Amino acid sequence: MRRRNFLQYLAPLGAGLLGGQELLARTTDPAMKLGPNPPYLKPGDMLGITCPAGSIEPKDARYTEVMVAKWGFKTRVGSTVGKHWQRFAGTDMERAADFQRMIDDPYIRAIIFGRGGYGVIRMMDYINWDNFKKHPKWLVGFSDITALHCHVNRNFSIPTIHARMAGGFNAVEDESEISLRDILSGKQVDYRWKAHPLNRAGKATGMLVGGNLSMIYAMQASQSELDTTQKILFLEDVSEYKYTIDRMLMNLKRSGKLHNLAGLIIGGFTGIKEEEVDGFFSMSLEEIILEKVKEFSFPVSFGFPAGHQKPNLAIKLGMHYTLFTGIGESNLTEITDPHPALPLQPFLDSIAPPPADSIIQIP
Amino acid sequence: MSIIVPPYLHKGDTVGLICPAGYMSAERTQTCIAVLTSWGYKVKVGKTVGHQFHYFSGTDAERLADLQDMLDDSDVHAILCARGGYGTSRIIDDINWKKFKQQPKWIIGYSDITVLHCHLFQRLKTASLHAPMAGAFVDAGGEDAFTLTLKNALSGESLKYEAPFVSSNRTGRATGALIGGNLSLIAHLTGTPSMPDTNGAILFLEDIGEYLYNIDRMLLQLDRAEKLNQLGGLIIGGFTDIKDTTIPFGQNIHELIQNRISTYDFPVAFDFPVSHTNENVALRIGMKHTMVVNNNGTTLKSVSV
Repeated sequence: MRRRNFLQYLAPLGAGLLGGQELLARTTDPAMKLGPNPPYLKPGDMLGITCPAGSIEPKDARYTEVMVAKWGFKTRVGSTVGKHWQRFAGTDMERAADFQRMIDDPYIRAIIFGRGGYGVIRMMDYINWDNFKKHPKWLVGFSDITALHCHVNRNFSIPTIHARMAGGFNAVEDESEISLRDILSGKQVDYRWKAHPLNRAGKATGMLVGGNLSMIYAMQASQSELDTTQKILFLEDVSEYKYTIDRMLMNLKRSGKLHNLAGLIIGGFTGIKEEEVDGFFSMSLEEIILEKVKEFSFPVSFGFPAGHQKPNLAIKLGMHYTLFTGIGESNLTEITDPHPALPLQPFLDSIAPPPADSIIQIP
Repeated sequence: MSIIVPPYLHKGDTVGLICPAGYMSAERTQTCIAVLTSWGYKVKVGKTVGHQFHYFSGTDAERLADLQDMLDDSDVHAILCARGGYGTSRIIDDINWKKFKQQPKWIIGYSDITVLHCHLFQRLKTASLHAPMAGAFVDAGGEDAFTLTLKNALSGESLKYEAPFVSSNRTGRATGALIGGNLSLIAHLTGTPSMPDTNGAILFLEDIGEYLYNIDRMLLQLDRAEKLNQLGGLIIGGFTDIKDTTIPFGQNIHELIQNRISTYDFPVAFDFPVSHTNENVALRIGMKHTMVVNNNGTTLKSVSV
């Protein structure tokens, strides 16, 4: 090898060793390796509030500040709270910058989003995740925020929280907010809910992924696409036509996303829109879903209390659970954390030195 | 990529009429049948025309069987889908293409039929016709300048279309395979085996009844799936009956689309006559076309092979 060629080869290799995080992110199959678990919150820890999509007013954030203070946490309100640009809480760059500041701020231990709506997909590609990978923190939200759940799960395999957001907090805490407090504080999940007559009984174990169906659909074939193999998939949605739900599920099926599931959990599908033609779909929502998975045998559990509804129980996505769907009830139990404990530099530490034969010899 | 071009039609050839998705009354197909007959074609009416299963023109099995019969019938030379709606993707993976590969034929339609067009392009490398369906003939009262383009396309005439200059256009010139159709349906194919490879292609898009934010999201979906970054050119047809939310999106459809493709430099033509209105010309999907966008307007013509 001539020297010129050697130098060409060395440049990217050296860059890879210096930028260890990028190297690992590119070469690790997220399905095979678990990212670190964000640390649970302790009294005195700080939560950030930011709006990556639609906007909320400062008075809406105030409910969250007061309630979170009762839980023993501080809050920092981002610059997008109260900001408006078109239908968003600021321009794409303003929303990205506010979220970026919260990712990079070492004092913020969790980020609760203001609300969903629409807009995460417009700003998420501007985010630099380097600090998040090194110092992960809980991201809390649902609906449009599913774009972030998918992206973080797919690329970093770091758990996130699907839960009510700041704009939905009330003066008096309810079941949804208490469930979020419990999760942020590190309490293990053990949810039981009434079995639906159309459930498919069974037991499944695997990582829980998912969220809003429309957003999972919008991530298809992108770098944020959800990997569902051997996972328990959770789906919810709001205000869609049945034919649109059918069409999105057909997309998931035709792209192989339903073939190798460990289990399927269906949350709220609320506000389903009236079809323009009576009897447009002869099938109920449950029948539409069951039809898509009829050739598979994994358990299917309807009626999980999460989504655009009350209660909207908090769940950690990207963590492992046992799903049990029985005759009387369904049960989702967190498996003792298989994620690696968080060393100071989890990613750098886990990089093996390059094998000797990859070192290039100059003749 | 070489594309298989089905034989053009001659007088006396047969057009099969089916409904692979939504229901349509037999009565509403009469004008279309009369015009096809006046063009010298025979029409074979499929079992799904006028048949109904709730919203659909039959169960999945019935719609599949009707399409399969027309594909396999050696006496049928082209298949006209009477209407779209929703339902083609529910049956597409069960179609047996064996006979079709031996005897390719023009498959005609738009809207939900975009699923067939993309699948034919990507999996079977066969050209198809994005063109007016039965309802257009009723609305036109038979034959008009737009429904007539179907006759020209079927009989093998070279096609050349022009659209007036629009200030939102981005000038330039591109030559490539023409693909496209309904934006919602192309988004619906993302990640599936039917999703077309758009590298170097001229992509055309139209849609109806969508929210502006959802159009924005679908375009981002295509872009993030790397379907826009290597385009040769982009043609925007009608986006009709657009809806907006309580908090307005803040951009009109032209501005929205311009914003989504601002980082690319391929030519872009707006207000091209492909849409859910009567302004909908026949386009040969998969075949090589040249688009020219300049200060005089837009031209799109097929490149003779």
